[in-house]
Amino acid sequence: MAFLEVHDVHTYYGNIHALKGISLTVERGEIVTLIGGNGAGKTTTLRTICGLLKPRRGKVILDGEDLADFKTHQIVYKGVAMVPEGRGVFARLTVEENLDLGAYSRNDRATYASDLERVFGLFPRLKERRKQVAGTLSGGEQQMLAIGRALMAHPRILLLDEPSMGLAPILVEGIFDTIKDINREGTTILLVEQNALMALSIASRGYVLQTGQIVLQDSAENLQANEMVQKAYLGIE
Amino acid sequence: MRKHLIHGLTSGIVFGIITVFLLLIGFLSTIADLLLVAINIKSLESAGLSAQTLNLLLFLGLLGVFTGIRALRGAEPLSWVQAILSSTLAGLVHGLIAGSAGFILGTLTDNGVKLTTYLSAMLPQTVNLYILNRAPLDGATSLLLLFTLTGLVGGLIAKGLGSRKVGERAGAFWQTTVTSVTELPAIKRVQSSPITRYVIYGILLLIVFLLPQRLGQYWNYTVGTVGIYVLLGLGLNIVVGLAGLLDLGYVAFFAIGAYTVALMTAPEPHALGINFWVALLSGLVLAALAGILLGVPVLRMRGDYLAIVTLGFGEIIRVLSRSDLLTPFTGGPRGVRDIAGPTIFGKPFNSDIDFVYLITLAVILIIFITNRLQNSRVGRAWVAMREDETVAQAMGIDTMKAKLLAFSIGAAFAGVGGVLFASRNQFTGPEDHNLMVSINVLALVIVGGMGSIPGVIAGAFVLKGLPEVLRQLENFRILAFGALLVVMMIWRPEGLIPSARRQLEMHGEEPPPEEVIQQVTKPASAEVES
Repeated sequence: MAFLEVHDVHTYYGNIHALKGISLTVERGEIVTLIGGNGAGKTTTLRTICGLLKPRRGKVILDGEDLADFKTHQIVYKGVAMVPEGRGVFARLTVEENLDLGAYSRNDRATYASDLERVFGLFPRLKERRKQVAGTLSGGEQQMLAIGRALMAHPRILLLDEPSMGLAPILVEGIFDTIKDINREGTTILLVEQNALMALSIASRGYVLQTGQIVLQDSAENLQANEMVQKAYLGIE
Repeated sequence: MRKHLIHGLTSGIVFGIITVFLLLIGFLSTIADLLLVAINIKSLESAGLSAQTLNLLLFLGLLGVFTGIRALRGAEPLSWVQAILSSTLAGLVHGLIAGSAGFILGTLTDNGVKLTTYLSAMLPQTVNLYILNRAPLDGATSLLLLFTLTGLVGGLIAKGLGSRKVGERAGAFWQTTVTSVTELPAIKRVQSSPITRYVIYGILLLIVFLLPQRLGQYWNYTVGTVGIYVLLGLGLNIVVGLAGLLDLGYVAFFAIGAYTVALMTAPEPHALGINFWVALLSGLVLAALAGILLGVPVLRMRGDYLAIVTLGFGEIIRVLSRSDLLTPFTGGPRGVRDIAGPTIFGKPFNSDIDFVYLITLAVILIIFITNRLQNSRVGRAWVAMREDETVAQAMGIDTMKAKLLAFSIGAAFAGVGGVLFASRNQFTGPEDHNLMVSINVLALVIVGGMGSIPGVIAGAFVLKGLPEVLRQLENFRILAFGALLVVMMIWRPEGLIPSARRQLEMHGEEPPPEEVIQQVTKPASAEVES
């Protein structure tokens, strides 16, 4: 049984049928990516998984447990952490306060210091700026902060929503290297991306989403070689 | 015509109109009398000027100087000649308008026209004061001279300081005074050393204990009112300042506290004769419960919608309290009289001084509670929720629970305030619980500085204390008060004593530009991996 299983999920915004039967699985220790264009339903899928949206039909199962009856904050306690789209750092709080809130779901203050060191180890820039207000960080630093904050919760699975958005290409590479490192340390990752090239380069498997439906699923190498993916998302004619 | 001259002209016209307006509503003579109380200038009998006239001249002179300053605003950079020309022109125009008004009104009065039939404030002595108790033409010329000269002076001052900066400087001055005091090494040391801190607290307590003995009954009453508003402010500060929920019906919980003590202790309508202290506790609990009851349905809404619904709730409580339905409990529009005060060991404890002590004690307790809450896990949840509700949920925060907690704690504080207010006045009625209470409390939280405990206290003193001090202004009390608030919010939008966070936000340092460039040019490997 897969660690995270999304089974035939239909999600609506009012009357708009945003997800039309999404099914996907993420195994323990994997990086799985969900690629697709604007409005394909990538963010909606993540929001459905972490309970911010409730599916009208279908199930989200984490480690054998149906999440239907749980609210977002309870799902967080079950080990799901999200890095929201557009980073979503608390702009008026300092870097340290942001990280502190990331650990909100952790009740043991004992590991707090070592968690903090781990995040600062991954992102030394955050340590330099720990007393600075998050809103004054650069886009790349805010992304680091958002990821670091999610890690403070000790997630079993990390949901990343477009970490490359609005960043310079060189920064994107750095972020993706870090994501790979985090995965290597044992965190399962579901990565939503428009930047298909980067996403497929670190993922083991991928799903292609189009207007609320999964049109293609395969290993990352096969997707990279797929003609349709190349044309639509990789810019290769 | 040159741009700076146009500036001077418009500035002169605007201030001319303002001066005439102030004259027509009778404000000028009031302010002259008020200044007489405040600074008590000796009259110059030799020059034929009474003290009142001198005060008027002082006020008009300041207005004239300001005209000159305004004339240069936004027209920089000017040479000295241009600045002098512009400000003198402004003063001249100001003087012409103000002088002509004086001449016309003075001549009319001299010819026996009863101006009071048209403008109630235009008594002959008011007009005469305005034209400095001289013949109309003489007085008008003097005014013209006065404004021209002061306009020039204002221009010189503004040019010397850099005119655009005058407003900013005044704001920055306050900023630096406050920070320089709090940043003093001595203060820092006091803050870090527990012993000196306790000594300071002890002295403060002693002052709090002794001061009411020195104040008269009237001032004790005022201080008590201020104290109750501090209570209300601290409660609303949790709801609005910390949790970020805009509650416009806060008065409802105040009313619940007030009616609880009324119903339980007053001889009418039910003569239950319950002890004050029991009533105090009941008021607190009932208000908190009401907060939860109201909160469950309405806290699903966000922002503006929440404000409207709570506004409605506040009105519902007020209308209910005067309705026929609840008259057997609330006394309807007549209210409830003879509400009991507290007793300590059988002794009545209900003079204005006693209540000052009681209210102060409540304030200290609530400051302590608020302080603890702010730095607790709940406090952090509130702050996260205020910043971004969705992300807060994704951090594992139960936002519904956090909101309800904020709402009910805020309500409980208001309930205590209501109990104390009704018990001190020995009366409560629907008019004690109108919308203005909610607005005043919200205003004091904003004026003082949202999310800051000292700010709330300062705000309460300014909003409830200042109008009492301004009572000398009589009819213009509210006008002056409103003007003060506007000026304050322009110069200091973050409040009198903002919390450290808001100060950062308003005056925080942006990262220096070179660093931004560095980030872009630095290779990514150095940026992220290292």
